Amino acid sequence: MGTTASQLGKDSLSEYQELTFLTKQEILLAHKRFTELQNRDERNHLNATRVPMEKILTLPELKSNPFRKRICHVFSTSEAKDGSLTFEDFLDLLSAFSDSATLEIKSHYAFRIFDFDDDGTLDCGDLEKLVNCLTGETDDTRLTSDEMRQLISNILEESDIDKDGTVNLSEFQHVISRSPDFVSSFKIVL
Amino acid sequence: MTSGQQRQGSGNGYLTDQESLRLRRVSSRTSSPIYHDVNRSASSAEDDKGSSELNREIRSNPWHMAQKRTKWLEQQKQVPAQFNGGSWKHKRTKYVHQFKSNVRELLYLFSLWGKSLQKIGGNFGGGVQSYFFFLRFLVVLNFVSFLLIGGFVLIPSIVFRSVGTNLARNTGEEACLKYDPNPEGLVVFYEFFLHLLSGTGFMEYSYMFYGYYNNTMMEDRSFSYNIPLAYLFTAVFYFAFCLICIIVRMGKVARVAVTTGGSDVSNYSRIVFTGWDYGCLGSKATSLKQRNIYYRLQVDLEEERLQMHAASLSLCNKVTLYSLRVLMFLVAVGLLVATFFAIFKATIFSQEQNSKAEGILALFYEYLPSIVITAGNFLVPLLCDQLALIEKYSPSATVVLALLRAVILRLVSLAILLYTLWGQITCVGNTYYSNITESNMTDCDLCQYNHSAYPCWETNVGQEMYKLTLFDLLVNIAILVLVEFPRRMVVDNWSCKLSQWVGRQEFGVPSNVLGLVYGQTVVWTGALFCPLLPLINTVKFVIIFYCKKITLFNNCRPALRTFRSTTSTFFFLAVLLFGWILALVVMIYSVAVIHPSQACGPFRVFPNMWQIVPNSFYSLSRVTQDFLFFIGSQAFSIPLFALSCVVMCYVIALASIYGKSVTMLRAQLKLAAHDKQFLVKQIKKMKHLTPQNNEGEQD
Repeated sequence: MGTTASQLGKDSLSEYQELTFLTKQEILLAHKRFTELQNRDERNHLNATRVPMEKILTLPELKSNPFRKRICHVFSTSEAKDGSLTFEDFLDLLSAFSDSATLEIKSHYAFRIFDFDDDGTLDCGDLEKLVNCLTGETDDTRLTSDEMRQLISNILEESDIDKDGTVNLSEFQHVISRSPDFVSSFKIVL
Repeated sequence: MTSGQQRQGSGNGYLTDQESLRLRRVSSRTSSPIYHDVNRSASSAEDDKGSSELNREIRSNPWHMAQKRTKWLEQQKQVPAQFNGGSWKHKRTKYVHQFKSNVRELLYLFSLWGKSLQKIGGNFGGGVQSYFFFLRFLVVLNFVSFLLIGGFVLIPSIVFRSVGTNLARNTGEEACLKYDPNPEGLVVFYEFFLHLLSGTGFMEYSYMFYGYYNNTMMEDRSFSYNIPLAYLFTAVFYFAFCLICIIVRMGKVARVAVTTGGSDVSNYSRIVFTGWDYGCLGSKATSLKQRNIYYRLQVDLEEERLQMHAASLSLCNKVTLYSLRVLMFLVAVGLLVATFFAIFKATIFSQEQNSKAEGILALFYEYLPSIVITAGNFLVPLLCDQLALIEKYSPSATVVLALLRAVILRLVSLAILLYTLWGQITCVGNTYYSNITESNMTDCDLCQYNHSAYPCWETNVGQEMYKLTLFDLLVNIAILVLVEFPRRMVVDNWSCKLSQWVGRQEFGVPSNVLGLVYGQTVVWTGALFCPLLPLINTVKFVIIFYCKKITLFNNCRPALRTFRSTTSTFFFLAVLLFGWILALVVMIYSVAVIHPSQACGPFRVFPNMWQIVPNSFYSLSRVTQDFLFFIGSQAFSIPLFALSCVVMCYVIALASIYGKSVTMLRAQLKLAAHDKQFLVKQIKKMKHLTPQNNEGEQD
C-alpha cells in the first residue's frame, strides 16, 4: 500500500479526486489493479503507457459483460481507436460507473456504449445489436427476425419523439429519467 | 476557448447535444426537467457558487481527463477562494446510501433458498419463479405459526403435565365421559404403520391432537396460566396473523404491478435501455440474466401479438370465438358439478362401509374421499387445459382462468368433505346414511354430539386433516417417481411418434399453486384440532420444494409461453385468501356452535369453546372489566364508528386525488415530449439558418 501511494503522487491523487467521482480508496485500488495489468517495465510511466484492450478485458468485472468491447472503445482516447486505455481513461471509466456519478453522466455514457456505429444516434442497426447483446447470442435466446422487427418498431414508437427513425441523446435520456433503478444498475465497483 | 474544447470531442453528434445537457443541469431524480430548466437557465450558471459545486460541474461533463484538467486549471485561476462546506453533506448521503445497499445485500444472503430461486428464474422465467416464491412464503408462514403455537400452547402443556397439576373433574353424563384412546398392549408391526398413516393408535393420545391437552388452569401467587384460554386465543391470533401476512404481501405485489405494469408506460424501451445489470459477475450469472431479459421481452411481444390478432379478427371470426368460449365455459361448469357429485357419493359410501370393513380394506375406505378428491383435482385441470387451447386467451388470462376454475374445484370439494363430517358429528341429516331407528335418534341428544361414533370428535377431525395432508404429500412424491421420471426416460430414449407428441412435460404453475393452496387450507382448518399440523406442513412444503425443484431441472422443458409474474403472484395470494375464508368459517362454527367433547380436551367442561372467554373475563380485576365493558358499550363504539367513517372518507379522497395527479403528470409528460419535439425542430431550423458560422467552427 505504501509503495503504491508513493507511486501515485499526492498531487495527482487529490487532482483525480477533484476531477472524478471516485474516493481516495477507490483511486488507489484502481491504481493497484491497473498496474497489475501493465508489464513490469511500464509501471513507472503511468500516464504515458496504454494497456491493450485484451488485457483490460481480463478484469473479472468486465470479462463476461456483453458490452465490454464497447465500454473500452468509448473510454479510450487512443488515436488508433483500438480500445486501449491509459490510467486516466481507466479512472474516467470507473468514475462514470461509480456510486456517486450523476444520472446525466451515466445516461450519456450508456448512450455512447449503445451507439455501436458511433454516429451520435441509435438507429435500427444499433438497436438490433443492442438487443442481441442483451439476450445473448445463443440459439435458444435469440429473438427471431419477426420478433426483432416488432421489438425495434415498438422501441422507436415509444422513444423516438421527433420521429426521425433514430433515438438521439435527449430522447434516450428522457426514457432513462423515468426508470428509477438505472442509476443502481449502471455500476461497476472493483 | 469553449469552441476549442468542443472541437476536441470524438463524435459530432454528442457535441451539439452538450448544449442541451448544459441547459439541463438538474439534480438526479426530478421528473419535470422542463420546469427546472426554465428556473436554472434564468439565473446565470456559473456566478455565485462555491468551488465544490464548480468541481461537480466539471465531473458531470462527459469529457476525457485531459479536457477536465484543462478546464479545472482555468477555473482555478478564476476562483481563488476555496469552500468545502458542501462535501460533508455529500459524504454523509453517500455513506447512508452505501449502508442501505449493504444491509440489503446482507438480508439477501440470509434469505432462504435465494440462489436456487435466482437459478430457477434464469432458466425457466418469472412465472415458474413466482410459484417457488409463493412456496417459500408459505414455508416461512407455517414455521412462524408453529413457533407461535408451540410457545403459547405446547410448551406450557408439556410443563404443566410434567409438573402434574390437578384437573377439574367433569360432571356430566357417564356415557359422554367414556374415552379410551390407549392401544391394547402390543400391536402387530404393520398396524403401527397404519396408525402412523391415519393418526390413530399411539398417535391419537399425544400432543399431536386436541384430545391430549388438559384444561389446566394454573394459578400461582404471581403467575397464572389458563391453558384453554391460551389455546383459543392462540388459534384466533394464528388466523389473524396469517391474514395480515397475506394482505401485506398482496399490497407489496400490487404496488409493484401498478408501478411497472401498464402498456402505456414505455416498457420495451425501459427493458432494453435499462435492463442490464453491470454488476453481474461471471459467465453463469451473465447468461442467467440474458435469459431473464429474453423471457421478459418474449412475454411482452407475445401478448402484444395476441392482442393485435384479437383486434384484427373479422366479425365472423369473433362471433365464432366468443360462442366457442361460452361453450367451453359451460363444459367446464359441467365438469365441476360432476366432480362434486362424485365426491359427495364417495363420502357417503365411505361412511357406510367404515363400520363394516377391517384392516387394509378399512384403510382404503377411510381414504376413499381423499382418493376421489385427488383424482378429480388431477383430471379436471388437465381437461380444462385442453379447453384453454380452444379458448385462445392471452397467456396471463389463461393462467388466471385456469387458476379460478381449479380453485373452485379444490375448495368446494374440501368444503363438501367438511360438511359431511360436520353432519355426522352433530347428527344433522342422519337419515342419509343410517337407518332411522329409535336408538340412532338419541345419539346426539345425550351429549349434543355423536358420542358413540366420536367420543372425542375434535381429535377425529384433526385426524382427518392430518390424513389429507399426508396423503397429499405421498401423492406428490408418487407422481414424481412413478409418472414424471418414467415419462422423461421414455421420451428421451424411445423416439417414436407417440413419445414425440407427448413430449417432455411442462411445469404447470396453476395446478401446482392450487396444490399449495389446498394444503394450506387443510392446515388452517385443522390447526385448531391438531396443534402440530403447521410444523408437519412446514416439513411437507420443504420436501415439496426440493421435489419440485428436482423435477423442474430434470424432467421439464422450459415453457414455450411464459406469463407475467406480477399479476399471477397477486392472484395466488387472492386464491389463498379464499382458502383462509373457508377455514375461518369452519373455525367459527367449531368454536361457537358445536359442543366440545366432554371426554377429552381443554374445553371439556364448557358448552362451547367460546364460553371460556366470558368465564375468564369475570376473573379479571374490576377496573379491567369496567374498561372492557366501556369499550364494548355504545358510548364508545358509536364515536369510534363515526371516526372510522371520517378516516375512510379522507383516505378515499386522498386516493382519488393521487389518481388525478397521476393522470395530470402523464399529460404533462406528453406535453414535455411535444415541447422537446418543438425544440428539436427549432434547433434544426436554426442550424439551417446559420450555416456560415457552423462551417467556420467545424473545419
